[in-house]
Amino acid sequence: MVDSRPTLTTKSYWIPTKVAGERLFWMSLEFSLNRPLKKGQPSIAEMALSSGSVDEALLGLPSVVPPKIRKEAQRLLRPWLDSRYTGAYGRSGGILNVFTPPWGELQDEVWAEMVAGWESKAFADDRARQEALRALERQWNTTPHPFFAGLSPAQVMVGGGPQEAELADEFLEHLTRLYDGCPFESEGQALVKTLTLLRRWQSQRRKDGRMVLEIIVAERNELMARRARVLHELGGSR
Amino acid sequence: MSRKSREGKRRRQARSGQQPPTVRVSSEYRRNIRQADDILSKEGIEIQPDNWQQLALDWFAPQEPERSELARYIADHAHRLGIPWARELLRLEVFFQGEDYEQIIAHHERAFSRYPRCALVEMWVADQVFRHAGDFWRARQMYRYAIEHFPTHVKPHYELGFMSYLLGDFVGALGWFDHAAERVADDDVEMAARILYNRGIVRYLVEGDSKAAITDMEQALKHKPDYPQAKEALCGLRGKMSWVPW
Repeated sequence: MVDSRPTLTTKSYWIPTKVAGERLFWMSLEFSLNRPLKKGQPSIAEMALSSGSVDEALLGLPSVVPPKIRKEAQRLLRPWLDSRYTGAYGRSGGILNVFTPPWGELQDEVWAEMVAGWESKAFADDRARQEALRALERQWNTTPHPFFAGLSPAQVMVGGGPQEAELADEFLEHLTRLYDGCPFESEGQALVKTLTLLRRWQSQRRKDGRMVLEIIVAERNELMARRARVLHELGGSR
Repeated sequence: MSRKSREGKRRRQARSGQQPPTVRVSSEYRRNIRQADDILSKEGIEIQPDNWQQLALDWFAPQEPERSELARYIADHAHRLGIPWARELLRLEVFFQGEDYEQIIAHHERAFSRYPRCALVEMWVADQVFRHAGDFWRARQMYRYAIEHFPTHVKPHYELGFMSYLLGDFVGALGWFDHAAERVADDDVEMAARILYNRGIVRYLVEGDSKAAITDMEQALKHKPDYPQAKEALCGLRGKMSWVPW
């Protein structure tokens, strides 16, 4: 009998910083959760959404998956907030963001500017004021963010799919071939070299004429559309 | 102006005491401070009430526009500075010349937190925080502070452009490189060439404007004719060879 359950494969790559290693793990997990178990079947992320039970969806993971990874998967599969997707700060952001030093609300110049604009405005009453804030949150969720390498927080939240997983493998293998064993003066120098290579790589056109960013954005948009369909079928949002 | 232009004898002396990049413990920090003091002493430096300002300027900011900026800072905060501050600044300079980035960062954290923030010092230390410690977000704040208080200097604009590029924010990078291009001095050929090269690349990525990118590359090569990356990019932009940005 063929076991068609999703598997977590381990590969060895050179990475510039310890924290990037941790984020690389999240990225792989995000890819796994978005991979359909079989062609035409839902992914674990979609199963969690449609069943309303993360635990039930995670039964699809092979039994050998350790509790630590299951716990991390639970975190990633938590329902999205109705307000601002602050969970995006804690996601990997995929191959385009996996090496970016971690950042959050304190560093988010975009959100800070939006809030400053909102605070400086006069509103008819508190209700109008709160509605304007909610509109801003929605705007933040869906607008490409400069610190997410041009992905929107929603696109970060949804995670990457199989195409991005392949692209990520390609880049990581290239990175490893190039820098494994190279002496670097500092972790920062290794990081700058890695990011320079990444931005060069993502700017190359592929055989179909698209750039890496375009492929990744298209796939993440497709995953969001599937997510929206599942939610629609459930007759409400979670 | 690059700090590397000020390398020399003192740098070699400081280098001899350089440690491998490991986590610095307090005793190691103190040992490096003693080494820096030895170097200053061998240079015949005696910081006195009547020369601390002059020494700070001559050692840390010998050239314009940094010198005027530091002079302005000293004038604004003279009552809080004085000999102890000048000693810390000269030590910092020794660590810069030794290119000991860990000690630069450690010394900045330990010694300067008790003084008013200095845009010039932050600008130079930010480079180490950014390019060696890899702490982009802290460096970003430092560069922004430098821009706020020393808006005419080209360096923080250029560095924020490069950082934006690394973050994958090409639009943001283009804006910073534009600001840098407006500020760079004609005789700062190295910086001018780098700004124009980088701006050309980012402009091509953001706008697909190969004409404007070609102009930037040509200008970069005018400033620095021996610039292989700019030559390669120019050939690529003119369609003479297979080429990808960066």
